[in-house]
Amino acid sequence: MLEKNSQLLQVIHLRKNFGAIQAVKDVSFDIAPAEIVAIVGDNGAGKSTVAKIVSGAYRRDGGEMLWNGGPYEPQEPDDARDIGIETMYQDLALVNDLDAAGNIFLNREPTRRLFRFLPLLDHKQMRERSAELLRRVKIELPSYDRPVRQLSGGQRQATAIGRILLSERARLIIMDEPTAALGVQEQRKVLDLIRNLSDHGMAVMIISHNLEHVFTVSQRVIVLRGGEVAGIVSTAEVEKQDVVSLIMGGGA
Amino acid sequence: MTGLNTDLSPMRSVGSGTMRAISGVNPLVIALVILYVAIIFWSDRFLAISNQMNITRQVAVYLIIAMGQTFVISSRGIDLSVGSVLGFVGCVVARMIDAGTPVPIGIATGIVLGTAFGTINGLVITKLKVNPLIATLGMLVALRGLTHILMGSTAVTRLPSSLVFLGQGFVGPVPMPAIISLCVVAICWWLYYHTRFGRYTVSIGSNEDACGLAGIHVDRQKILIYAFQGACVGLAATLLVGRLNAASPDLGLNYELHIIAAVVLGGTALYGGLGTIFGTVLGIFTIGVIENGMVLVGANFHVQRVLIGTLLVAAVAYQEYRRRQLERRVG
Repeated sequence: MLEKNSQLLQVIHLRKNFGAIQAVKDVSFDIAPAEIVAIVGDNGAGKSTVAKIVSGAYRRDGGEMLWNGGPYEPQEPDDARDIGIETMYQDLALVNDLDAAGNIFLNREPTRRLFRFLPLLDHKQMRERSAELLRRVKIELPSYDRPVRQLSGGQRQATAIGRILLSERARLIIMDEPTAALGVQEQRKVLDLIRNLSDHGMAVMIISHNLEHVFTVSQRVIVLRGGEVAGIVSTAEVEKQDVVSLIMGGGA
Repeated sequence: MTGLNTDLSPMRSVGSGTMRAISGVNPLVIALVILYVAIIFWSDRFLAISNQMNITRQVAVYLIIAMGQTFVISSRGIDLSVGSVLGFVGCVVARMIDAGTPVPIGIATGIVLGTAFGTINGLVITKLKVNPLIATLGMLVALRGLTHILMGSTAVTRLPSSLVFLGQGFVGPVPMPAIISLCVVAICWWLYYHTRFGRYTVSIGSNEDACGLAGIHVDRQKILIYAFQGACVGLAATLLVGRLNAASPDLGLNYELHIIAAVVLGGTALYGGLGTIFGTVLGIFTIGVIENGMVLVGANFHVQRVLIGTLLVAAVAYQEYRRRQLERRVG
């Protein structure tokens, strides 16, 4: 009981239907502070649905969630963000025509006053603080004043991370396929970044198809199959092949 | 001679070299220079200070409306109703002032009325989810009808001198409307590049969903954008009535075509996310110079239309070419 309360997030008997389809039948797991956990499973296993329930995008039909031991019932994504759960969407939700600093500070822009009168956006402060934020997790962007449309996939991901770091209250970051659609070098950088986030006290929940990456960064793997937990394993104790068997179910 | 590649390669290398040299410059600057040189060649009156000032006076009303439209188009919207709102507000304000309302109150009423119509456009677009093209097209048609109902077959003429001064007066050699429109440009410059209002306008045009996720009130911002466009039109309406010293129900007819052409000509992208205040100023001046120059040269009025139409299509084709180039460089 005591140990349970030290968990950051507890998901208990989660259930979600879409009409007649039971996308999530019975899913339970916990995530400890600063832990890196991966959720894997075949298409339709319920990975994304579980992630969306945790991030407040979907409402659950049954079960319970606890955040730091207290009840957690998000009505919308803002509720999740307010308590420290941030989601990085697969498309990163960036404004492509704004620069990296503009994206990081979107809706939180600092202003200064010209002649103590005319309010102006403080572009310089945004660039400097953006660089400083990303340096904390060992990322250097080539440019903070170029539209992010012109940045590489990894750099765009770093921009999205910068947004999360700025809020300074993130305790759990949900990442949907963070390494998909990236080059090999960029993938490695993103994996390093995930470790860095954990080193800074943030838990990370990764949804991924790529077992190679999952085994590189995460401590535990939650395997879903048909909307249920097929197994929760420690990456230190099992082989990739074992996880593949769990994903496929039974005989494979 | 034989293959497409051999035929194109020398052209391409020359082209890309030239393009690189001028890539930072708005291509309209070049178009304007060519226009100036061409018109000077045919008319010695064109370059006179008095004629140049005349151009600034002629374009002032367009310029003020186009400033608002730059925000609207940057947000991936469009406002077709500007001409009709201009007509309605102009007629109402002229009627009020003609009936004895003090000029400042008349002007204020014009701006408030324009803002109100803009707000209605914004509400219909965001709350009733009507496509901006249709919402403002409806406003265009309905309001023109309402203006004719209001005015009957009459027109208001001979307005008070203070209103006429705003539209026709001079400060030194500079026309009043030019001064007022430049103030509006300055305010829009500040709004567009240095405030959250401008930044969210462009951001919504670029990626509305991301703005929503970041917690920006997208609907509210859009309503504000259309309201701002309305305010610009309201101010422009009072200036136009002063300049013409008259208001008839056809006031502002077909203005939307010139305004949208100028904004797009200037480099603001119809797919949103990319706009330029300076480009809109250039776009308006290009149209103004063509109109003025064609009159001086004595060309047929319809030649103007051919020229403006051709230029518009060429400008958009160039923008698309640039965009594809940029995207290729990234990929």
